[in-house]
Amino acid sequence: SPYPSTQSRNAILVSHRQKGNPLLKHIRNVRWMFADVLCDYLLGQGSCALYLSLRYHLLHPDYLYFRIRELQKNFKLRVVLCHVDVEDVVKPLLEVTRTALLHDCTLLCGWSLEECGRYLETIKVYENKPADSIQERMDTDYLSRLTHALTAVRHVNKTDVVTLGSTFGSLSHIMDASMEDLARCPGIGERKVKRLYDTFHEPFRRVV
Amino acid sequence: MVGFHEHIVSDLLEDPNGGLVVMSSGLSLHILISSLLQLHSPSQGTLLILSASPSQKSTILRSLSQSQSQSPNPNPNSTIPSELSFDLPSNHRQSLYSTGSICFITPRILIVDLLTSKLPTSSIAGLLILNAHTLSDTSTEAFAVRILRSLRSPAYVRAFSDRPHAMISAFAKAERIMKCLFIRRLHLWPRFHVLVSEQLEKTPPEVVDVRVPLSPLMKGIQKAVVGAMDACLKELRKTNKVDVDDLTVENGLFKSFDEIVRRQLDPIWHTIGKKTKQLVSDLQTLRKLLDYLVRYDAVTYLKYLDTLRVSEGVRSVWIFADSSHKIFEYAKKRVFQLVTSEGGKVALDSKNAPSKKRKMKEGGASSSSGKDDVKTDTSSGVVLEEVLEESPKWKVLREILEEIQDERQKRAPLSEGEFTVEDAGDDSGIVLVACKDERTCMQLEDCIMMGPQKVMQKEWEKYLLGKAELYGLRTRAKKKSKDPKGFGILNGLVPAVPRENTEATSNFKLERDALIAAASEINNLTEEVDAGDNFQPLPGRGRGRGRVRGRGRGRGRSQRGKEVEEVKVSETVVPKKVASDISGLESRLQRAGIDPIVTADLQEHLQTSSDENILRKHTEEFNNSELKRAKQLPPVHFYVLDSNQHILDVMKPSAIVVYHPDMAFVREIEIYKADNPLKKLKVYFLFYEDSTEVQKFEASIRRENGAFESLIRQKSLMMIPVDQDGRCLGLDASNESLISQNSITRKAGGRKAAERETQVIVDIREFMSSLPNVLHQKGMRIIPVTLEVGDYVLSPLICVERKSIADLFSSFASGRLYNQVETMARYYRIPVLLIEFSQDKSFSFQSASDIGDDVVPTSIISKLSLLVLHFPRLRLVWSRSLHATAEIFASLKANQDEPDESKAMRVGVPTEEGIVENDVRAENYNTSAVEFLRRLPGVTDSNYRTLMDGCKSLAELALLPVERLAELMGGQKAAKTLREFLDAKCPSMFYCLLQYL
Repeated sequence: SPYPSTQSRNAILVSHRQKGNPLLKHIRNVRWMFADVLCDYLLGQGSCALYLSLRYHLLHPDYLYFRIRELQKNFKLRVVLCHVDVEDVVKPLLEVTRTALLHDCTLLCGWSLEECGRYLETIKVYENKPADSIQERMDTDYLSRLTHALTAVRHVNKTDVVTLGSTFGSLSHIMDASMEDLARCPGIGERKVKRLYDTFHEPFRRVV
Repeated sequence: MVGFHEHIVSDLLEDPNGGLVVMSSGLSLHILISSLLQLHSPSQGTLLILSASPSQKSTILRSLSQSQSQSPNPNPNSTIPSELSFDLPSNHRQSLYSTGSICFITPRILIVDLLTSKLPTSSIAGLLILNAHTLSDTSTEAFAVRILRSLRSPAYVRAFSDRPHAMISAFAKAERIMKCLFIRRLHLWPRFHVLVSEQLEKTPPEVVDVRVPLSPLMKGIQKAVVGAMDACLKELRKTNKVDVDDLTVENGLFKSFDEIVRRQLDPIWHTIGKKTKQLVSDLQTLRKLLDYLVRYDAVTYLKYLDTLRVSEGVRSVWIFADSSHKIFEYAKKRVFQLVTSEGGKVALDSKNAPSKKRKMKEGGASSSSGKDDVKTDTSSGVVLEEVLEESPKWKVLREILEEIQDERQKRAPLSEGEFTVEDAGDDSGIVLVACKDERTCMQLEDCIMMGPQKVMQKEWEKYLLGKAELYGLRTRAKKKSKDPKGFGILNGLVPAVPRENTEATSNFKLERDALIAAASEINNLTEEVDAGDNFQPLPGRGRGRGRVRGRGRGRGRSQRGKEVEEVKVSETVVPKKVASDISGLESRLQRAGIDPIVTADLQEHLQTSSDENILRKHTEEFNNSELKRAKQLPPVHFYVLDSNQHILDVMKPSAIVVYHPDMAFVREIEIYKADNPLKKLKVYFLFYEDSTEVQKFEASIRRENGAFESLIRQKSLMMIPVDQDGRCLGLDASNESLISQNSITRKAGGRKAAERETQVIVDIREFMSSLPNVLHQKGMRIIPVTLEVGDYVLSPLICVERKSIADLFSSFASGRLYNQVETMARYYRIPVLLIEFSQDKSFSFQSASDIGDDVVPTSIISKLSLLVLHFPRLRLVWSRSLHATAEIFASLKANQDEPDESKAMRVGVPTEEGIVENDVRAENYNTSAVEFLRRLPGVTDSNYRTLMDGCKSLAELALLPVERLAELMGGQKAAKTLREFLDAKCPSMFYCLLQYL
């Protein structure tokens, strides 16, 4: 197992290949330790990273491909962390982008060792963090939530939400309403009625 | 229309391919365009006008309708241009194109309609492209022209610019623009062109140069600001990051200076230090200070300085410079002085201050009671003496207006000092006062109505009230109890910036205290007055630009006789409400194209009728002598130069006061005069003597002449490749011919062209950017469609969402990016987020020093990390520039199938049955039900599957008891949240509506 102990579960495991990489100086918010891992940085159960300096890539254009091929497929997230340390980036970056994209790797670029180190730290720290902070913030009042839910049905608009809510009194009543009752609501046409009714009454999983 | 306009038109008509016209600013481009439009007949096809700004559109339309009504035999076929926007359904657009009409069109609509063949190239007579200086080979206009030319369309392309200095802002810019528009001819029409100067100087207007001396204090401020600017420039030169040649104070007077500096610094912006960045922004601030010095009154200027000190405070370099100290000091002296109650002046000069300062500092540090001493000292000894220096130009303006009136009276001794009826018939007798901004217009108006002292007093009161509020707020924020008596809020007053406290000199404190004392006096005064009889000390009137004031207008004035005085008085006390209604009405009328003079009449009528009851006793409030003086003034119209309305032809003034000198406006006057050679026109220029205002005006002329000289040089050296028919071959002519040659040899080899044309499907919203153009340049076929998911579809597997850096940050903040990535990941095997940097900006998010020590959720690194953690399948593409993106796209497409247009369009769009095509889940799931479920409170990524297993449909879910829900959702709390939401009483319709309103 790549994880020798529970203690190291909270640390970034660094391949011995990375010995002497000045990047390690910049991993300060998370503990890290050397370990026998195939990737350069093992960041968690499902995520790992390979480090590549663009300057190195210019000297060894095949290096990245072989490193990616070495990785097992059992990582959900495979990061290629690219340190942009050359002036003329367009050509080498194109090659790196292409290799990463066609071999199922996510490319992250850092322009300084600090930035690269921060990516590693962040991915480790955020391992189990929900996406709230980058998701649309929804108002928490009832009407907004109701609108949010009902507008999952295509073409249902805010006015329809108000109509439905005030006609049926509660969401559970809306979900349980018959076609006729839905049709009686002003502004909700035939197609919308069908769409609503199907959403509520068709089974979640279709029988194959 | 002046003679040289005709010349330009005939020059343009000579070449069927069109041409590029660069003329001096202010030479009435709109007249030129409108005369070109009049030559158009629908039989030629559709004429499209691109990239016209809103003000250009309106002036073109106006001069078009004007000249049509004037001309003896109007062209019956000519049409008024219509506006084409995406609001117009595509079939309407199509029919419009076929009628051969003239349309204002955005480049985005044009290119989409061209690519989708909604606009057949054969139906286009030509393109008129305005603001040609904004073009480059990546702009959409160039894209459209390239498409036209590639389809062998005979349409002409005529491009125009009246910003010559913008045409030389990059290497061989004019030549590149011409090539990308496939134009061969460059027509240069500087003001110094023989024809132009001949025609404009044949009957020049009578010009009076009025050199107004700056007040000594203004001079001092100006010197200090220029000094500070010079110091900043010297510092900037030391950094060795910027080309030194451009760094002169004279250049620094122009807005374009920032562009010069930014253009040089932007690519390395992340590598330059904080100090350099600050210097750049300081220079900007200083330029504003110079500009405002001659535009704002003394009090407003001081107020601006105050806010600057608060907002820039610690960061700025210049604020601590020696000369900037003088700026503040002089600005203050223009407004008030501190005087001891015995009448002696408190020493405020910098010479005396230091010794006193030190003494007071010691005192303040040694004992806290020292403060109290100062305070008592304040309340007893020191008072503010108002200086309230008026702007020197105010008085001069008034004198000029009086002089104009005197002259008129002398000229027309008949009809009791008014001018004769014939006179009024052929000119409106209006005096046009042209100012830079709306603010000055309003203030000058007030000056003329109420006298300058009143205006200054008003500003001063506002200033003091602002101060009082500020200090009041601060003390309240510090939770100090308010002393009930007098202006006790000063007790224990703590300045906002703590370091100020230690530096606070006695003068500083004295001054502040005195200011507050004065403020509280005024405060009490106004409160009393307000409580008294709702008297409004600040008369509110309608403020709209481009309006003729009712005051003493020539027509109909003699009939009104004595009424006039009453009207005048009432005008100043019209309550705000009525006034704003009127101005609203007026602007609506103006939008409807109704003559402003008519509206002014209407407005006057409204005002006289609406405020009889408000008049009441306030009549005597107004100084009689002032009114009498006011009566001698001719009708005045204030014109805002920034509005770009070109109103000379409409207003037909007989005298113009150029309050703020402006090169373009001067030319407009010249053209107006050349157009009406018989009209008497007197122009007064108001310059501040020895000021940067003059310098700037002169520099702007020099700069334009320099630009033209450079353009003339460029024109003589220009290499425009043409084909045998004399058509321009465009920018990359050499490459294209090479490619075509290759394909010929390949065909000669007997093989079929193996190369298939690659295609990219592009969302029509993306045509705002230049990427589709660059992709097309790379030889890809562009298919514009409305995409529900993603911006570009490269292959059946690859879908790209493109974000510029600014977009990236904003869409992270709004959460939109998360949704976009989520849907992309749902429908495509390889969802791609393209992060595109701009070529002339730095290629990085932040400099290493900005990264900080900790992982913080707000940083872009954290957001990107979170995004890739949640969408491990998402591929990121980092692109240096547009062109790099095009290369990346080409490379990614290399081994992929071509995308299918109709499929891409349907992605994410459910059919009537709610089944989404390509959605891997659609066959197996009721997708809208799943979506609905996942949006319910309490339902999370981890429990929605078990919920779906536990009940068949949503209708069934609605009936599940909370216990069962808890079982399925794996927790009481979530189950309770969900159940409560389902059963919650929905608010009544009325309440809901309130929420939305």
